[in-house]
Amino acid sequence: MSKVFRQWVSEYQDQAWSLARYLLKDAAEAEDVCQEAFVKLWNHQDSIDRDKIKAWLMKVTRNGCLDRLRRRKPSEELGEWHAAATTQEPQYGVEHQELGRWLQQAIDRLGEPYRSLVVLRDVQENSYEEVAEALELSLAQVKVYLHRARKQLREDLAEVRP
Amino acid sequence: MIDKPNDKPEYSPDQCIADQATLASWEEQLNALLEGELDDEQKQQLKVAAAQDPALARAIIEAYELQRALDAIPLQAAPDSLRRKLARIPAEHRKKTRPAWLENTRFRPAWVTALAAVPVLMFALSLRGPAEPAVTEPTAAQISQAQQELAIAFSYLEKVGRKTGQEIGTTVNNEMQQTINDNMMQTIQDQMEFNKERNA
Repeated sequence: MSKVFRQWVSEYQDQAWSLARYLLKDAAEAEDVCQEAFVKLWNHQDSIDRDKIKAWLMKVTRNGCLDRLRRRKPSEELGEWHAAATTQEPQYGVEHQELGRWLQQAIDRLGEPYRSLVVLRDVQENSYEEVAEALELSLAQVKVYLHRARKQLREDLAEVRP
Repeated sequence: MIDKPNDKPEYSPDQCIADQATLASWEEQLNALLEGELDDEQKQQLKVAAAQDPALARAIIEAYELQRALDAIPLQAAPDSLRRKLARIPAEHRKKTRPAWLENTRFRPAWVTALAAVPVLMFALSLRGPAEPAVTEPTAAQISQAQQELAIAFSYLEKVGRKTGQEIGTTVNNEMQQTINDNMMQTIQDQMEFNKERNA
């Protein structure tokens, strides 16, 4: 059983971490949420559909993030999180880095569930079914909301582009 | 924020309704293009339309740039500290798969003790003989000792039973509680009557 669990950890830890990092913008909190999500996975592994482990894990991770965000004071919302993400890509040019930084800030400005949708679908490239499962939305809702989110991002992008 | 997506006008007020409808239609086509849902003919139609409509052309370019930027965002690798924590989960949580109250008698509910006591009591009572009068008469000392043991057992079970009644009521169900208590009480009462008859 622990062998299967280790395989899940290996496959999904980066995605869970990435989602938590995007949503919380705080490394320590993101780490706590991920750990809690995987402990829940360990404790409930027998009752979870094996085909939906990833979606289940993303849902639990996101819910953990949202719980923490709700407990935060409004002033704590703004963070300094994106510095690490942008500096770890030295192969891109300055313009690309700026675009990446801008995009991460733009994603950060999106409300829920748009932010999670963009991260899960456009950044992590999960399937529509997995995204719908993780966010407890219908496929139609996922498409409509995702289109709205992208449109918002496009409009933001148009404002900063020459 | 786009929690209320419709709170921001999609187009400037001076644009006519017909233009909005056209753009909204192209917006759908654009989304379908991004999802890879357009066939070749539909793609060609979109290209032709974009060549004649600067707004649509700009929207397509922006969508492309956005998609490229999104694709370039790396999936952030989990830090080593998190990897170590996750790797330790099976070892650290293995023991917790068995409830603590089964491991530690301090946290074991009284009804578990009571349930465990039933077969022990039944066995002890069976050693004292069947419900019919025994062929060999016990000595007075044996009867006295049996009465003392029974009194102790009864006292214990009565004490446990009070707690059991409360706990079973919330954890198992009232029916099981009644069955356990009734069976225990009946067994004890039978034995007491038997002892009385023998003493008489």
